[in-house]
Amino acid sequence: MLKPMSVVRQAIAADADDDMDGAMAEGAAAGQPAAGRRVLPIVEGVVLLAALLAPLVLQDYLTVFATRVIILALFALSFDLVWGYAGIMSFGQALFFGSAGYGVALLARDLDITNILLVLPAGTIIGLTFALLLGGFLLLGRHPSSVIFVSLGTLTGSYAADRLARGWYYLGGQNGIPSIAPMSLGTYEFTEGPAFYYLVLGILVAVYLLCRFLVRSQFGLALAGLRENEQRIAFFGYKAQHLKAIIFTIGGGVAGLAGSLYAFHEGFVWPNMVGVVVSTQVVLYVLFGGSGTLIGAVIGAVIVEGVSFWLSDNYRDIWPIILGLLLLLVILFRPLGLISFVLGERERVGSFGAKVKEKRNAP
Amino acid sequence: MANAFVAAFEILSFGAIIVLIVLGLGIIASMMGIFNFAQGEFVLLGAYITYLAYAKGLPIWAGMVAAPFVVGALGFVLEALIIRRFYAAPIVAMLGTYALGLIIRESVRGLIGGFYLTVPEPIGGSIDIGAMHISAWRFTIIVITLLVMGGCYLLLSRTSFGLRVRATLENPSLARASGISTPLIYGATFAFGAALAGLAGALIVPVFSLFADLGLRFLIQGFVAVMVGGVGSFIGPVAGAGVIGTLSAALPWVMAPVVADVLVFVLAIVFIKFRPQGLIAGKGV
Repeated sequence: MLKPMSVVRQAIAADADDDMDGAMAEGAAAGQPAAGRRVLPIVEGVVLLAALLAPLVLQDYLTVFATRVIILALFALSFDLVWGYAGIMSFGQALFFGSAGYGVALLARDLDITNILLVLPAGTIIGLTFALLLGGFLLLGRHPSSVIFVSLGTLTGSYAADRLARGWYYLGGQNGIPSIAPMSLGTYEFTEGPAFYYLVLGILVAVYLLCRFLVRSQFGLALAGLRENEQRIAFFGYKAQHLKAIIFTIGGGVAGLAGSLYAFHEGFVWPNMVGVVVSTQVVLYVLFGGSGTLIGAVIGAVIVEGVSFWLSDNYRDIWPIILGLLLLLVILFRPLGLISFVLGERERVGSFGAKVKEKRNAP
Repeated sequence: MANAFVAAFEILSFGAIIVLIVLGLGIIASMMGIFNFAQGEFVLLGAYITYLAYAKGLPIWAGMVAAPFVVGALGFVLEALIIRRFYAAPIVAMLGTYALGLIIRESVRGLIGGFYLTVPEPIGGSIDIGAMHISAWRFTIIVITLLVMGGCYLLLSRTSFGLRVRATLENPSLARASGISTPLIYGATFAFGAALAGLAGALIVPVFSLFADLGLRFLIQGFVAVMVGGVGSFIGPVAGAGVIGTLSAALPWVMAPVVADVLVFVLAIVFIKFRPQGLIAGKGV
């Protein structure tokens, strides 16, 4: 999908440079973005604006809820990097989320370390390390691992971690670790509320921009190629397994960051956080919103959590059933997620081609 | 001596339960290439139907006989409506069947509430051998597992239906060219796998009691067993299930249960990593 398009673009660019008359080049340039190259930035802008204004109009308890949603959106971003861009089905993303949560909870409980400048990097590093170990084991090696093996391997890892957390007294067993001290910066303590919200939002925006830069770089292009056709990318001379391991590790780091924020925000960690429940939840977010677009993951998390929160008062029992039905419908009829209602396939895939256009216009 | 015998029986009986659950999973994975995340929920449905029969005052064994047929029929319908669209993409199939499983699980949860419902054993009591007592029902499960295993093997290796299933597995286009209706075969295979899960659920519900996450508990163990045994044959997943079931029942006798629990999974994943084709490689029966 991706490859032919960029080839075409380069061919057009080359033609324009060589001998084709300017009219035709202009025609191609005008015709190409007509489908709406500008939808994605608009969507991103609207979401950012809504997120910035949210605490001003929401009641206090809803701001707390919104903070949780933003953290989960950050977590969704990590899964989207791995699945939406590199095509690695990580059914155990919660392993990195939860282990970082447990890690920072232990730091706060046993060592009294709650300084934000220490705990957030620590959580990220825990996520990175676990992802590096698991991803390195599952993805690297003499024989490329099958997609099924990687997805079941990550799922099993997450399940095993869940069992371990449930049975290990040091980690609090079934009850997890309650009443974690709030995050601090000097004497200031981050408690639930607008300050925490804007902190988390700032982190989300920063990570989002980093990811955006990453997926639009040459590295991201190779990743998207992996997703579309791994064999072809391998034949081009890329080390497909290494690329996968790298993005898997980065995804683990982001999940770790989200997990440590989540632990401090909720004030407790419990075994579900590393387990299959949360692992599949993040899959739901990204599938709903639209995998392969970063904003899709964020929107998916907001929609799923928002609707779930809204319905949980009256329809708590049937909400999971509705969720399952909706998920099935999305998988069957909208495999690219809700974002594909406003975002064309060309824009989703073709965002890499923008630079070619600029180059052509420059001289 | 008596203790060792009881331990051996416990291990054997748990191994038999895992084999029973993995049979259906393995047949669907091997013959169709689909890792069915809804399999745990088929087990749950089988258990639920048995409970329903008991609650309505029917004999329990009537529910146990009905369960595989009802779940099999449901499997056939689901295959025709939904699963059929997933054959090309194994990952999408996982997600789709996960969604299906979610729907079934939450529906059952809504029906039974958050309770643990018990169903009595249709064959109660114990079998006494000298000073040792073993549960009669668990012994029955072992016997039925052996019978079902043998039956499946004969069905796949000796009948013309089995031949068609294997032909469809090995070369779908050639099978179609030979006049085999592959969609029908896929439908029947999926229904058969679902029916086995229903039977498993019906048989184990007296042992584990009925709760909404009953199936989930076995799903991941089942997947690991299928991968350890080797996808592509009938015998492979059964062998894998035997190994995984025996290990997870035996290890807690020699070490802390928590460690044993995790160790089984770690060992299994490491094994699969270095022997991706599984214990028994190759296609066929």
